[in-house]
Amino acid sequence: MGERYFPCMQFVSVLGSGVIQGYNRLRYLLSILWSVLSLGLLPDSWRRTTRSVLARQILFTGVDAVGFVVLVAFLAGISIVVQAQVWMSRLGQLELLGPLLVTVVAREVGPLLVNFIVIGRSATATAAELAGMRVRHEVNVLDAQGVDPLLYLVMPRALGMAICVLCLTVLFVLVSFATGYVCGALLGTGPQDPAIFSRSVIRGFAPGDFLNLLAKTIFPGLMTSIIACVEGLSVEGVATDIPQAVTRTVVRSTLSLLVISVIVSVLTYV
Amino acid sequence: MAGITGVDFRLSRGELALVHVEEGREQTPLADLATGLMIPDHGQVLFMGEDWLQMSARRQAEQRGRTRRVFQHYGWVANLDVVENLCLCEGHHTRRKFADIASEAHLLARRFGLDGIPSGRPTRVHSLILRKLEWVRAFMGTADLLILERPLLGAPRGDMGRLVEAVCEARQEGAAVLWITDEDRDWECGQMGKSARFQIKGEAFCPA
Repeated sequence: MGERYFPCMQFVSVLGSGVIQGYNRLRYLLSILWSVLSLGLLPDSWRRTTRSVLARQILFTGVDAVGFVVLVAFLAGISIVVQAQVWMSRLGQLELLGPLLVTVVAREVGPLLVNFIVIGRSATATAAELAGMRVRHEVNVLDAQGVDPLLYLVMPRALGMAICVLCLTVLFVLVSFATGYVCGALLGTGPQDPAIFSRSVIRGFAPGDFLNLLAKTIFPGLMTSIIACVEGLSVEGVATDIPQAVTRTVVRSTLSLLVISVIVSVLTYV
Repeated sequence: MAGITGVDFRLSRGELALVHVEEGREQTPLADLATGLMIPDHGQVLFMGEDWLQMSARRQAEQRGRTRRVFQHYGWVANLDVVENLCLCEGHHTRRKFADIASEAHLLARRFGLDGIPSGRPTRVHSLILRKLEWVRAFMGTADLLILERPLLGAPRGDMGRLVEAVCEARQEGAAVLWITDEDRDWECGQMGKSARFQIKGEAFCPA
C-alpha cells in the first residue's frame, strides 16, 4: 500500500511544485509588465536616453524586419488567400470570402506569424544582448551612473517591441491580402475587380476584429520582450549561460504567445 | 569581493578621503556602498543626509546621477559608442544640449592629453586611452561625489599631475572625493591637498 502510495504522492508533489513555480514566474512577469506600463505613462521616464533606446528598438525590431515580413506575407498571401478563393468559388460561397480571410489572416495567421518572426529575430537578440551586458557587468555600470536598468533597458524595449508587432501585423495583413488578390486575379481563381475584393474584405471586418488584432499583437509583444529582458538580465556573470537564456526566451515567449492567442480567440468567439 | 569592517567616516563638500588598499587586493565594496549599490550588513550609508535604504528606486537613481566614478574594472557599455558612453550620465540626468555635453567631453579629453574622442565602440579602443576617457567621464558636469577606484591603473606616471589638478578643481567646486588606491605614488602625492587618510588591512578599515 505504502509503496504504491509513494510514487503517486511524488507525482503530485512534482506537479504541485511545477504549478507553484509557474505561478510565481507568471506573477513576476506580470509585476514587471505593470512596472513597465506605469513607467511608460510617466512623462519623466521619457528622457532622451530612453527615447534613443526606444528608437533603436523600433528600428531593429520594426524597420529592419519589414523586408522579411513582406516576403512571408507575400508567400502567405499566395497560399492562404488563393486557396480560400478557390474553395469559396467551388462551394459557391464567394460572398463569405471576406469574413473567411479576415478570420484566417487578420485574426490568426498574421499575428501568430509576425509574433514568431519577432521572437526569432528580436527577442533572442535582446536576451543575448542583455545577458552579455550582465556578464560584462555593464548593468552595474549603468546603475552606478544613476541610469535605472528597468527604465533604460527594459521599458523602451518592451514598448518598442509591442508597437513593432502591431505595425508589422498590419503590414502583413495588407500585403497578404494584396498578394492574394493579385494572384487570384492572374490565376482566374478570384474576383478580377479589386473593388469587389476590397469590399468583400472590408465587409468581413467587424469592430471586434480590431480589438482582437490589438490584443494579439500588443500583449504578446509586451510579454515576449519582457520575457527576453528578464531571461537576459537573470544571467549571473557566466558567458556559458547566455545560450540557455536565449533558449528559455524562445520557449517561454512562444508559450506565452500561444496562451494569449488562445485566450483572445476564445474571448472573441464567446 | 572581499568584505570590510569598521567603516565609519563622513565626507563633506570639497573634502578628499584617500583609502589605501593592499596591493593585489581584489575590488573593495567601498564604492558600491557609497553609491547605494550594495547594502551594508550593519549600519547605514548616508548620501547628502539621506539613507540609501530609505530612498525609492527613482530617488536612488537621481542621487547616483550626482556622483561620478572611475571604475576599477571595465566601466563601459559595449553597445554604445565611446562618445555615447561619455555623455550617457549627463544626457540622462540633465537637459543640457547634447552638443554642449559632447563638446565638454572633447575639452576634457584634450586636457588629459588625448587627441580627441575615438569614434566607435569602446571594445576597439586601447585600454590606456579608455582609462583616460574614464577620467573624462568622471569630470563631466557637476558632481557631488567623485569616486576614483584605482584611477591610475595602467596610466603612465606622467599623467598623474593632470588628474590631481582636475581633482583639486572639482573639490573647489564642491565635490567630495573618495580616492581608492593601492599605489604608493597616489598615497605619497603632495599635490592632493588636505585629505583624510584611511587604509584597509585584511578586513579592517582604519585611519592611517
